[in-house]
Amino acid sequence: MRLTQGAFSYLPDLTDDQIEAQVNYCIDHGWAVSIEYTDDPHPRNTYWEMWGMPMFDLASARPVLDALQACREAFTDHYIRIGAFDSEKGWESLRLSFIAQRPAVEPGFQVVRSNGPGRQINYTTRSYATDQPPEQRYRDV
Amino acid sequence: MSDASGPTGPAAGPVSIDLARERAESGIDVYLAELDTSLIGLAPVKARIAEIASLLLVSRVRERLGLATTKPTLHMSFTGNPGTGKTTVAKTMAEVLHRLGYTRTSRLITVSRDDLVGEYIGHTAPKTKEVLKRAMGGVLFIDEAYYLYRAENERDYGQEAIEILLQVMEDNRDDLVVILAGYADRMEHFFSSNPGFRSRMAHHIEFPDYSDRELVAIGELMLREQNYRLSPAAEATFAEYVALRRRQPHFANARSVRNALDRAKLRQAERLVNSGVVSVEALSTIEREDILVSRVFDDNQPES
Amino acid sequence: MEPTERSAEDRYKSGVMPYAQMGYWQPDYEPVDTDVIALFRITPQVGVDPVEAAAAVAGESSTATWTVVWTDRLTACESYRAKAYRVQPVPNRGDQWFAWIAYDLDLFEGGSIANLTASIIGNVFGFKPLKALRLEDMRIPVAYLKTFAGPPTGIVVERERLDKFGRPLLGATVKPKLGLSGRNYGRVVYEALRGGLDFTKDDENINSQSFMHWRDRFLYCMEAVNRAEAATGEVKGTYLNVTAGTMEEMYERAEFAKELGSVVIMIDLVIGYSAIQSLSNWSRRNDMILHLHRAGHGSYTRQRDHGISFRVIAKWMRMAGVDHIHAGTVVGKLEGDPLTIAGIYDTLREEVTPQRLEHGVFFEQPWASLNKVMPVASGGIHAGQMHQLLHYLGEDVVLQFGGGTIGHPDGIAAGATANRVALESIVMARNEGRDYYNEGPDILRDAAKTCGPLGRALETWGDVTFDYTSTDTPDFVATPTVS
Repeated sequence: MRLTQGAFSYLPDLTDDQIEAQVNYCIDHGWAVSIEYTDDPHPRNTYWEMWGMPMFDLASARPVLDALQACREAFTDHYIRIGAFDSEKGWESLRLSFIAQRPAVEPGFQVVRSNGPGRQINYTTRSYATDQPPEQRYRDV
Repeated sequence: MSDASGPTGPAAGPVSIDLARERAESGIDVYLAELDTSLIGLAPVKARIAEIASLLLVSRVRERLGLATTKPTLHMSFTGNPGTGKTTVAKTMAEVLHRLGYTRTSRLITVSRDDLVGEYIGHTAPKTKEVLKRAMGGVLFIDEAYYLYRAENERDYGQEAIEILLQVMEDNRDDLVVILAGYADRMEHFFSSNPGFRSRMAHHIEFPDYSDRELVAIGELMLREQNYRLSPAAEATFAEYVALRRRQPHFANARSVRNALDRAKLRQAERLVNSGVVSVEALSTIEREDILVSRVFDDNQPES
Repeated sequence: MEPTERSAEDRYKSGVMPYAQMGYWQPDYEPVDTDVIALFRITPQVGVDPVEAAAAVAGESSTATWTVVWTDRLTACESYRAKAYRVQPVPNRGDQWFAWIAYDLDLFEGGSIANLTASIIGNVFGFKPLKALRLEDMRIPVAYLKTFAGPPTGIVVERERLDKFGRPLLGATVKPKLGLSGRNYGRVVYEALRGGLDFTKDDENINSQSFMHWRDRFLYCMEAVNRAEAATGEVKGTYLNVTAGTMEEMYERAEFAKELGSVVIMIDLVIGYSAIQSLSNWSRRNDMILHLHRAGHGSYTRQRDHGISFRVIAKWMRMAGVDHIHAGTVVGKLEGDPLTIAGIYDTLREEVTPQRLEHGVFFEQPWASLNKVMPVASGGIHAGQMHQLLHYLGEDVVLQFGGGTIGHPDGIAAGATANRVALESIVMARNEGRDYYNEGPDILRDAAKTCGPLGRALETWGDVTFDYTSTDTPDFVATPTVS
């Protein structure tokens, strides 16, 4: 399957030039840019691991691209996303979030059903990846 | 500029370029004019800056037309005594580079050794990289850059910072322009010991000391901005002061002038308070005695 | 007409007196920060003086009655009287005037839209000396705003809950409007969500009818939502309409929606202001996004001369506390002038809504940090208009493509994918600094090269657009000299 979190997941995976353009958009707005990675892309997993701290006061996308490259080399089979934080009063949250790397194979999610009262079903979404311990996820079996 | 048309091949394209229009459109003249008015004297420096601006403009046009094979080197060194306008010119340079599209922003970050070098092992690389992250997209001005290099101490962490800087400058990334600044002789020594830097410098600009006349004019401009003036007698004394002061150690050009005038204002205030009733005009006038009091006029004692 | 200084004895003598002399017209009055101010568009009957008409509106929306009453003197009646303090002719209309009327804060019960509206519009619209009357805009004092909780979720928290930042959200109303069984209904929801939409929506009149009981709809919808979440890895939702005949039934439906794990519920405007506030409070206590369909508003918001402007309704709804409200599309099938809609969107989304006469916004309105409401654009829009939609409506909006999803020749999921790809490609182009408004059709065509469904959508609806003269355009035009 293809995880479609983030603002551009329905488009072909972004090239580095496209990523640079998006990062430039963010720093032109004065937003802090962050890089995060995870091997558990469950939709409710809010806290991916941070690759370094969010970068404030940037004038160039280069530091972000360098950091992204380092993150890719360290975690070749993880999801990596780039986010932009806006500290403006009344927002104080993210303005943009998009995926910058995805593992070669994405096994996706399972819906587990259990019976509730009446015709109700209780649903649990499980990430197939988390069946395996961390180092062994996303291996091509 | 007309669109490219005609036969294919690297020679195809427009026949003529209106460089005057290119220059006007870039908007750099505002900053060059500002430099002209805000800095007194410095004629050779200003001429050099104008030259460099022209070169950058032409390089940009050549690149756009596909004539350039390599990107121009942009790093520079500014040498001269303190107080000769190096930081002001660096700001102008940052604007010009931005307007001509070489840097994303006109940001200028000024650092010295302590901002780049850590005190303990392993501290330097992150510190330098942090500075570089903030500086990328603009201009990095390293004041007294030679302090990074301490030949006598092999384990000095400055070497790490030097290596990182050299690498960033070598990659010739479009995102960062480095200006090294400091005393001419020490900079020369630094370049000899670290030849990698010299080869990465596109331009060396020397900032000569101001002439006595220029320093007096600078002083008068400073006073005017603060709504003070020199009395005619004070003007003459101040000129003498400048001539004497520059022969003494630690002379910092415009900075020394500012310090001297600050002290003169202190003495003026004391003189006026002790006089009791004074005219309103006297409040804004520096008199001869306010300057004469300076130790520069003692034959024996140097000014500190 | 000049206000006359009258002695108390004179003023309260029995009989009929012009409103302007009863104290309801005070041209020297300076409104204070705590006053509620209403701006009315008055069309007096022929022969009725506009100032007297304005004073009458002030009177009838506060303390007056058609004749003098002695019991007034048992009260501090000066403070309770509404004060018409300014009357100005409407540009290009010889028969209409704008009237500004200030109301003392004490007239209103805190936290009650029912009371605010009963006070201001409860009595005055049927008044005979007026040929027509429209409540055009209101300035709500911060002191009064603070008695309202406002939207339970708001735009920022909604995005954080959905984990979706940097693009408009996408939705679709399930079609056909009526008749689907629960099971078949759920199919539409599943296909649309797995194809790429963030939300689907019950239509306003889908409550609980013979062809589909509400419980069955909820059960099948949540099955669809959960399947779509697993298929995409995204948080998905469908607006479960809990509108019902009584408050108790609505609570029951909302509770069931919560039990089933829905992130959002929906209500119709016709349930009434008090019911809306109650459900808003419930939504806050139960972490639920609250979507409001503005059912019925067109009967009183559409005509410029008479009724209530939708921007006032939007204000009341932000105070009452809804997270989504339908607010116009500009380029779709329903009524909407671009400038008026821009003013309405500003009312919903800004920290401080700026005064902009050319958008029909007469008052600067600070919102005292009440959460922002996400406007919903729904009605006759399709993927080929994506660049226009982003340009007119901005990023914080839900774009709903009912027919534009379900009517796609290759099926619902394809329709959803077409919309999602169109949206993402336009947003990406905008961020890259391209002139996406003018290059929109090219950008969409490029994106269609790697997305068959989008290509088919552009073929099918490429040139459809709805262009009728608006019935509700602003009265003021921006001129270069206005500062």
